[in-house]
Amino acid sequence: MSADVQLENVSVQFGDFVAVRDTSLTIQGGEFFSFLGPSGCGKTTLLRAISGFQEPSQGRVLIGGKDMAGTGPNQRPTALIFQNLALFPLMSVWENISFALEVKGVNKSVRRKKADELLELVALPGQGDKMVDELSGGQKQRVAVARALCAEPEVLLLDEPLSALDLKLRQHMRTELRAIQQRAGITFIYITHDQGEALAMSDRVAVMRQGMIDQVSDGTIVYDRPETAFVASFVGENNAFPGRVIEVTQGVASVQTKSGMLYAQVSAVSPLTSGDAGIVFVRPESVRFADSSASQNQLEVTVVNQEFEGHFWHLVLQTAEGSVIRMSVMNDSESQTHEVGSRISISFTAQGAIALAQGELAAE
Amino acid sequence: MTSAGVLRLAVGFYILLFFTYLFGPLIVMSFTAFNSSEFPSISPWNCVTPEWFPVLFKDQHLMGGLRSSLLVGIGVVLLAVPIGLAASLLITQLQKRARSIVYTIAISPILVPGVVLGISTLVFWERIDRVVLGVEDGFFYDGYFMTIIGQSTFIAAYAMLVFLARLQRFDPGLEEAALDLGATHTQVFRKILLPFLKPAIASAAVLAFLASFENYNTTVFTIVSESTLTTVLASKVRYGINPSISALAVIIIGLTLVGAVIHEYLRRKEAAKSEALAAEGLPAPTRSRSGNRMLRVPVGALASLIFVAMLATAWIARDYDVAQCKIKVTEENRKKFDALKQQRLAEAKAKREANQEEADVAVEANQEGRQYQNIFAPTNLGNQIDSTEPPESDSGAATAVEANQDGRQYQNIFAPTNLSGQVGSETKGE
Amino acid sequence: MAVWFRRFLARNGTMLSLYMLTAVALWIVLMIVLPQLFMLDFSFRHNWQQMDPSRMGGPDDVYTLVNYHFLAYGSPNNPDPFNVVDVTVFFRTIIAAIFVTLFDLALCYPIAYYLAQVARGGKARLLVLFLIIPFWVNELLRAFAFRILFGEEGTINAILLSIGVLDQPIDFVREDVALYAGLGYAYILLMIFPIYNVVESLDKNQIEAARDLGASWGRIHRRVVIPFAKPGITSGCTMVFMLSAGALAAPQILGGPSSLWFTQIIYQWFNTGSNWPRGSAYAIVLMLTCVLLVLAIMRVFKVKIGEIGR
Repeated sequence: MSADVQLENVSVQFGDFVAVRDTSLTIQGGEFFSFLGPSGCGKTTLLRAISGFQEPSQGRVLIGGKDMAGTGPNQRPTALIFQNLALFPLMSVWENISFALEVKGVNKSVRRKKADELLELVALPGQGDKMVDELSGGQKQRVAVARALCAEPEVLLLDEPLSALDLKLRQHMRTELRAIQQRAGITFIYITHDQGEALAMSDRVAVMRQGMIDQVSDGTIVYDRPETAFVASFVGENNAFPGRVIEVTQGVASVQTKSGMLYAQVSAVSPLTSGDAGIVFVRPESVRFADSSASQNQLEVTVVNQEFEGHFWHLVLQTAEGSVIRMSVMNDSESQTHEVGSRISISFTAQGAIALAQGELAAE
Repeated sequence: MTSAGVLRLAVGFYILLFFTYLFGPLIVMSFTAFNSSEFPSISPWNCVTPEWFPVLFKDQHLMGGLRSSLLVGIGVVLLAVPIGLAASLLITQLQKRARSIVYTIAISPILVPGVVLGISTLVFWERIDRVVLGVEDGFFYDGYFMTIIGQSTFIAAYAMLVFLARLQRFDPGLEEAALDLGATHTQVFRKILLPFLKPAIASAAVLAFLASFENYNTTVFTIVSESTLTTVLASKVRYGINPSISALAVIIIGLTLVGAVIHEYLRRKEAAKSEALAAEGLPAPTRSRSGNRMLRVPVGALASLIFVAMLATAWIARDYDVAQCKIKVTEENRKKFDALKQQRLAEAKAKREANQEEADVAVEANQEGRQYQNIFAPTNLGNQIDSTEPPESDSGAATAVEANQDGRQYQNIFAPTNLSGQVGSETKGE
Repeated sequence: MAVWFRRFLARNGTMLSLYMLTAVALWIVLMIVLPQLFMLDFSFRHNWQQMDPSRMGGPDDVYTLVNYHFLAYGSPNNPDPFNVVDVTVFFRTIIAAIFVTLFDLALCYPIAYYLAQVARGGKARLLVLFLIIPFWVNELLRAFAFRILFGEEGTINAILLSIGVLDQPIDFVREDVALYAGLGYAYILLMIFPIYNVVESLDKNQIEAARDLGASWGRIHRRVVIPFAKPGITSGCTMVFMLSAGALAAPQILGGPSSLWFTQIIYQWFNTGSNWPRGSAYAIVLMLTCVLLVLAIMRVFKVKIGEIGR
């Protein structure tokens, strides 16, 4: 069973501080939805508003079409997986998992059976009798998921669940969580500051900044067609060239920047017009070594640094005016290495770049 | 010797002195419990005897007080611990201003003199009885009721402090997680908070009981017509003390030591367990860290020492008979007394010879039938010693001597026959 | 306020909220505040209950200062300008309590310092255990132990007599030595632990730095340790002072005729004197003095009440 979640003009205020600002959103039932944003952007507050630990100062939260005002967290069809997991230290693993049944008065053997089933689901068979502090980080993570699932919620809320894990484990858990969600068919609402996670797991991503949602779309769109400067700079790496729009023709804007005239597509959602202050964004992987056929967007740069990261070379380049450009080159037989200090030419296509209105960029 | 060395010596000496001050009185008191003299003392040491322990147990007044102390203690635990718990829970949910106000009011009973607490409790509930129930001696104006209330007033504050300390380490996320999974508030309290607080509840209960058991200042006012162990002990000041009190002290000290050893053992076990868990996965089943071992030694040594001491005592006491010892002691005392008397006799004789004129007058006065014969007056002695007249009655003397040989107190030592028996000896005594 | 209440109720549920609020209200109102107020009220009343119950509740049952007046000036037949006995006892109690406090401070500060900074882990824990054990023994029994030691037929006299230092036993009780030794002894723990707690949190490096810079131990204590330990010292002194001034057991058991304690006078008013209002008045005076003195000390040494706790 899954339910959709609707936020209608939800604001949450703590004294003078506005954590969430007039947010409206509909999350579909059965969807894997992520809130992505830096710390302090309000995503945790929103999660707590949905799960019932925080009453909105304004607006309504509806789950499955029902207004949740005045309904406590123990009565909402939601289950929350906390950032620090909050597993009960004085109970064994199976007691933790079956807690939701225990509070309903279900008898012990039924609870035990259910706990064992869920342990199988999260790939921890037979660990039921251990105490929580005997488990590793990844195992604890899975117990937390099992515990939440046992409550048979219609909406599962996850608060940065993987942030404490190491890289390999994180990647493994990503796949697992996605698989569990699809098997169980529950609505997952996931918050994280790691955009790789958000993009990999979600059906849709909402990028948040200072209490507001900048953009809600599926992952590829958020990445390829960001709608604000913040989204463009927060999600993935992006080279930014601030400047002024001279003219816009057939969806391509010419922007006068420090590094010369650059041409980039405009966003369909928030198009620019001539005279606007704008920023041209180019992804590192869209930057190419210039050959003679390049006409637009060609820059002369000096190689400042080269970083090898396994399947990519990252080059750090600097223009004559001092702008720093990052470039990613795939590590294949055709890749060329360049000496630090050498001067090369690079270019990108207008289709490989996007021009957006000037706005706040993500912090470095 | 370096100045650092001198300093260290001085410090060590000071610590030794300090602990002597600390333990001295108690050790002395413990020893007096086994001395047969009437007033607790270790010198002169008469006989080693366990006789004061039964005396202690037969003291009805004391035992009654003990019973009351236990009852009151249990009552206080049942009242003060829940109150302290409620107060600590409430305070953790309050914000700055309100929190510090409530905290200050809650702490105030600890800072108020115990007598004031006792008096205010007494006055208040007596008034309630009179005004609300219209009687003089009703339900409220009762020693047990008022003592439990009066003591709980400040003991609840102690309990609150214990709970506050424990609550500081509680992860509020656990409460939220439980709620989120569907638990009602009562269920959260019962299944999550209480199990976490269990050690604190135990501590608070033990603390409450001990604090109640040993309380005097407040109790003496609120207990009215009843009495607790402490008030009975205090009243003994007036009636005189005997070593049964020391016996009580020995029992309490013994219990305390046992309690301390158990507490230390439990604490050691906990520490070892958490160390083992913290060293996740590391081997070494025998943790040979110096701290642990050093602690293990003294407690173990202490326990073995006590055990050996008990065995030794039992062995020595095998051939020991209290009654015999007492007879021996009485004999020794008599001898000492006689020796002392000898000395005085000799001195008196010398003086007498120097004051012959006043003798006649004094004799006359004596024969006028004064109350008790002051045997140390020179004239009296002279009259009796130098006289060669036979003793008054043979039977009297016989019984006197017999009485002495039966080991009775030295009442008849003043009998003339006894004196004459020793006049010849020239021991000058000490 | 109502908002807070609603949120409180929501956070804790009905049963729990009821339990918390009732228990705390009962405690604060019925056990702390009201009894003190009643005692205060009582101290301003005539002792009709004992003298003439028929006049209770009637027109003669007015407020009066007679009890406080008595403390200061004595009865109307008093030839002296003021109540010499009671007032002297009062001041002597306070001053004696101050001396006991200072004695305990001097005695315990080195020990607390040693425990906190010098003794290492295992040894320190052991010493702490040894410190605590005597205080689990009843306060009264401890006083009796001192009586056994200091009595005329007591141990100290017996030993001194037998080794020839004395010819006659010293009446320690009359000389008040017994009482002061006993009082000093009674509250050692309460002086040591606050100081120990604070000094333990002092960063050892500060002391080492001072040593390194050439400071003598006296200076180190004066300039580094003691200022840091101020809250602990104040806390310890406060507790010892209040407990000494308000002590009843030690004076009753160890006190001689010349060392009557103010609390004993209060006790007499309740016991043999049957004058509860007067006893209440005396108790109020004692409490106010203690509280005012303590507040003054806290103000002077700039310590807040929150820092006083075990």
